[in-house]
Amino acid sequence: MERAELFSLESVTLVVDGRRILDGLDEHIHDGVVTAIAGPSGSGKSTLLRLLNRLADPTSGRVLFRGTDVRDLDVLDLRRRAVLVQQRPVALTHDVAAEVRVGAPGLSDADIATLLRRVALDPAEMLGRDPTNLSGGELQRLCLARALAVGPEVLLLDEPTSALDPRSADAVDAVIRALTADGLAVVLVSHDVVRSARVADDVRVLHEGRVTARGPAGALDLEHELMSPPEDGHDHDPDDVRAHTSTHDPHEHVVRPAGQPPASDLAARPQEQT
Amino acid sequence: MTSIPTWSAVAVSGLLVLVAVGIATWQRLGISRDVVIAALRALVQLIAVGAVLAWLFAHAGVAGALAWIVAMTVVAANESRRRGRGIPRAYRAALLGITVGTAATLGVLVAGGVISTEPQVLIPIGGMVVSGSMQAASLTLTSLRRSAVENRAAVEAALSLGLPAHQAFASEMRTAVRTALIPTIDSTRVVGLISLPGTMTGLIIAGVDPLVAIRYQLIVMYMLLAAWAVSSLVTARAAQGAMFDDAQRLVPISA
Repeated sequence: MERAELFSLESVTLVVDGRRILDGLDEHIHDGVVTAIAGPSGSGKSTLLRLLNRLADPTSGRVLFRGTDVRDLDVLDLRRRAVLVQQRPVALTHDVAAEVRVGAPGLSDADIATLLRRVALDPAEMLGRDPTNLSGGELQRLCLARALAVGPEVLLLDEPTSALDPRSADAVDAVIRALTADGLAVVLVSHDVVRSARVADDVRVLHEGRVTARGPAGALDLEHELMSPPEDGHDHDPDDVRAHTSTHDPHEHVVRPAGQPPASDLAARPQEQT
Repeated sequence: MTSIPTWSAVAVSGLLVLVAVGIATWQRLGISRDVVIAALRALVQLIAVGAVLAWLFAHAGVAGALAWIVAMTVVAANESRRRGRGIPRAYRAALLGITVGTAATLGVLVAGGVISTEPQVLIPIGGMVVSGSMQAASLTLTSLRRSAVENRAAVEAALSLGLPAHQAFASEMRTAVRTALIPTIDSTRVVGLISLPGTMTGLIIAGVDPLVAIRYQLIVMYMLLAAWAVSSLVTARAAQGAMFDDAQRLVPISA
């Protein structure tokens, strides 16, 4: 069955400080499936994800969402339809329910419980807790629930499992698969070839801003594609702050420094916890 | 008893500079020259300022006094801009904050008949208000810059949920204004307990009844609270406007 086009990239190039982060990309990302963009650190994959919800704009070329140039869409509406979840989960409040309500303040308690269950978190165990006290895997899933609360058509996941231990990563992968079974589209970027192939339907391999391979996950020799050394140099993407993720402590996650203690909204950010 | 110091008295106090120079030389601190230069600079600067103020008080009128306050505001905004280096259009934000903080505070004081519009009142009071507004603007910009760098991931997480910039950055804004106001709230709370504040001290030395002097001091403290609050809030709002682009993105801000 031919799937509808969700995102189309037309000759997308992004130049930062004279360096081509993305180099003339022409890609189509389809609805209702998990598309993985795999590549080594510095390949431009996180930057590519940021183009999809306009946290960045290309230097030239166009990004279309369901056939419309993203620059012609209301940017806040676009971000609610295509929600990006960062690699390192960030708690924005001091309460699990408040965290889920950040982008959807009108949710009922029952809605919150449903969303928590959808990301394999037990509401009875989670509600009332401070997100800054959760494990990395739990916080990552809470961030997924926070994203789902907005009611997106597609989730953009930046290295959703790279900062997690294998067990937590498996749990997050299972949640991602379950979400697509419900009809949600997912675009994820990852440096982890094997895991990408396991969770994704479609894979693009990115090397130095160019797609070097694409196709169904099972049809690609991803290990080979990703292990192929770049043609010239090994520069790291200056915009890709999520580089070097494999060295992260699996329990590490980011919470916001500064601010005063608890609040049910964004009035006060959680203290840093490292 | 009130005594107005003569120039001879100032010369005698100059001997205290020699004490400082003596200690610096004796302890080989290497700053004897700096002490002398600082003392001489203070002498020259204050004579110049005194002469300018004497002329202004005699000839400037209300228009001249206001022009002087505007000039102080421009200099103050330039000073604050340094604290906001890295924030786009930081000078504009500081200038707006200091101007609105000063105008609102002085406006209320004049309209309420609390102070007169004579230059010898407007200029020193205006100077205090501009100075307070400047410190508030500086602290606000410093805090905003730090937050924008340290909390970028959190701000982008909120933006990624479709929140508008002002909501995604609300926590940073509150922190900035709170940070700017804490020093003046603290000094207001303990006024008179730790040290006698400047206005009151000056008046008492000049022979004014302490119960009269505290009235001036209260006016000064209350006006500074308002100036700090208004300046900080306006500076923060203006800076926030420049820190996000049309696509509701936090622009790159250097540490």
